[in-house]
Amino acid sequence: MRETVRGESFPVRPEPADDLEGGLTLSPGELLERTWHVFISMRTGLALILGVAVLGLIGTVLVQAPAGLAADPAAYRAWLDSVRPKYGGWTGIFDALGFFSMFGSIWFRGLVALLMTSVVACSANRAPQLWRQATRPPLELSPSVFDRAALGATLDGGGSAELTAERIVAALRRRRYRVVTVVRDDRVHVYADRFRWTPFGTVIAHLSLVLLLAGVVIGTSFGFRDAGFAAPIGSRVEVGHGTGLALEATAFTDTYDPVTGAPSDYASEVVLYRNGARVAAQTVRVNQPLRFEGISFYQSFFGPAAALRVADAGGTTLLDQGVPLLYASDDGSERIGQFTLADQGLRVLVVATASGEQSATIRPGQVQVEVYPVDSQSPLGVRVIDQGRPASVGPLTVTFVRELEFTGLIVAHDPGQALVWSGAIALMLGVCLVFFFPNRRIWAQVARREGSGNVRIGALVRHDVAFQSEFQHLVDDLRRDLAGRAAH
Amino acid sequence: MFKMSEYSFVAGLLSAALALLCYAIAFASVRVAHRRTALAPAGARVAAVGGGPSITFVTRGPSVLATYGTLIAWLTFVFLGASLVFRTIAVGHGPFANMYEFSVAFAWGVTGVYLYFERRYHQRVLGLIALPIALALLLYATTIPSVSEPLVPALQNNLLLTVHVAVAIVAYGTFSVAFAAALLHLVQPEAGRRGLPRPELLDEISYRSVVIGFPFLTLTIVLGAVWADVAWGSYWSWDPKETASLVTWLIYGAYLHARVVRGWRGSRAAWLLVLGFAATLFTYFGNLFFGGLHSYSGLD
Repeated sequence: MRETVRGESFPVRPEPADDLEGGLTLSPGELLERTWHVFISMRTGLALILGVAVLGLIGTVLVQAPAGLAADPAAYRAWLDSVRPKYGGWTGIFDALGFFSMFGSIWFRGLVALLMTSVVACSANRAPQLWRQATRPPLELSPSVFDRAALGATLDGGGSAELTAERIVAALRRRRYRVVTVVRDDRVHVYADRFRWTPFGTVIAHLSLVLLLAGVVIGTSFGFRDAGFAAPIGSRVEVGHGTGLALEATAFTDTYDPVTGAPSDYASEVVLYRNGARVAAQTVRVNQPLRFEGISFYQSFFGPAAALRVADAGGTTLLDQGVPLLYASDDGSERIGQFTLADQGLRVLVVATASGEQSATIRPGQVQVEVYPVDSQSPLGVRVIDQGRPASVGPLTVTFVRELEFTGLIVAHDPGQALVWSGAIALMLGVCLVFFFPNRRIWAQVARREGSGNVRIGALVRHDVAFQSEFQHLVDDLRRDLAGRAAH
Repeated sequence: MFKMSEYSFVAGLLSAALALLCYAIAFASVRVAHRRTALAPAGARVAAVGGGPSITFVTRGPSVLATYGTLIAWLTFVFLGASLVFRTIAVGHGPFANMYEFSVAFAWGVTGVYLYFERRYHQRVLGLIALPIALALLLYATTIPSVSEPLVPALQNNLLLTVHVAVAIVAYGTFSVAFAAALLHLVQPEAGRRGLPRPELLDEISYRSVVIGFPFLTLTIVLGAVWADVAWGSYWSWDPKETASLVTWLIYGAYLHARVVRGWRGSRAAWLLVLGFAATLFTYFGNLFFGGLHSYSGLD
């Protein structure tokens, strides 16, 4: 019994009759074989590539929800409402389909996983063929293959078959072909190839994608990316994520073009500490991250901060550092920062008037401090305090030391990067090998018989103008060469 | 230097229009000549094949005009190149920092790649599609501000700015030529039409240009990832322009697989190339519609 699956034909073991399930049963082996054939089929590969492209296109055209938003249902709902005017009744459908976070969706990941499976299956299927082709090419073609060859020519040999073959070999060697000859009783066979290993470029290129994706998976599973790391100038901030590092920004400057007002430079002077010892220092700019032991610090944003000193009722200092005013109020008139005093179970909000804004309650040189229990929204104390004067707010004594700036950094550690870059390099290498150093194969044979037309040359490549003209030149040269020889 | 750059730009624009005009007239008269030959009695047609004097007269005019067209297209290439060089000197970085500069560079790329293929395959009729693409880009460039503003911090990486975009320009140019050949393929029947290149030749030209363009697009994306890692702290952010370039890459990847492994030829392959070119344009103009990290068009 033979069955055809997706154009591929392969034998299937006959099934024993089964009353209960009819002919529908498949043994695990057959299932595996069928699946294998689906995955090595180029039609499947094409469908998967185009499928990923379609999903990618949808993900480009539809606004994507900011990363991490899905973790906060309320914020996500608010975001959905913000795009509802744009997509109307489709909003719910797109959301249900996961199209607003396309690249994390089950569709996209599933399709990419299937594509990678297909890539691996195809490569595994193809590599042995390529190996055979490179190491044990067919050295002798039968005359009927020459008849059907895409490129072919018949020439008249001059002198003995050996001598004629020698001329052919010399012409091919001049063109940097590797040549093998086989001498038989009735004819001499010549096989020649160039770049016999470059077809492996396809395997390299395909497997490089797997390498690349493995790098992505490792990076997202074992790395971290903290896009909201704010360091007030002059305060040492723990980097966290198990790095054991602390970072201090000693200065931040933002420079603008005097004519257009467009930003021209953001620069933070950054010092890294481990266990109190300075381990690295650098000016971090947008295109000049600080890299230390695989952890990178990138300039990302900046804003105002307030240097505060906080003490408890007994006068013990609980905090003495800058508090970044990371958030803006909804109307943009206020900047808000917060910190928690875990041991005291307190959460403290610091509110300042945004620069350029007027406020009757919080004037320049003042901040409003609000103290809450961590688990409650009702404040223990709210008070506007003046710079330089200690004031009690709820159970705490707070001093607004001075205004500061903070520099906002992205802190990222991506252990998959080495794999990603190796994959990218291998991809380029593979693609260039295949396309710029194409494998060429030419066969020739010289029959030991008197008369004309005893030399045949052929190649099996179709539709390749560059190779066609190369082949034509070879044939023309040989024709001249052999005719000249015959005349002598 | 700004003035020099602008003069060269205008010269490039005018010469592109002139080259196109030459091609159009040459091609139209060849078509007319073909129709006349087809309508002429059999005896005259034999004379035509033999190269009779009257026919030579009809066809030599157009071919001379087409030669001039190519010559002028070379001038376009030189003028646009000069415009880019002058601008580089004037602004002090690769001329690839806003939509005006991209458009001139893209037009330069299309012209250059077309001329390369013209030299190799002698199919001037490709210019009838490639040159309008270049011309459209140049006309588009005249409608947008050409002022050079100081680079925003993210773009301040002269090496990557220059290489990343220059490589992209080559890729875009080759895809335009592939599109031109695909379109010429699609407008004629399976067996071909007189006056147009053979379908197989067009197929070959498309394939050759994608074979050059695909590695360049791959390199563009890889360099973009390198730069994103340096400037934004992440080699990939699913930014709309990034994603669009990936979609383009996938479409051309699909084309290569379809053609090489499944032997797709003819109109199916040509349609994939049209789709690929649409994706290329989408990638090119995408940042205008979707914002994202690549929003440096200078048009906001």
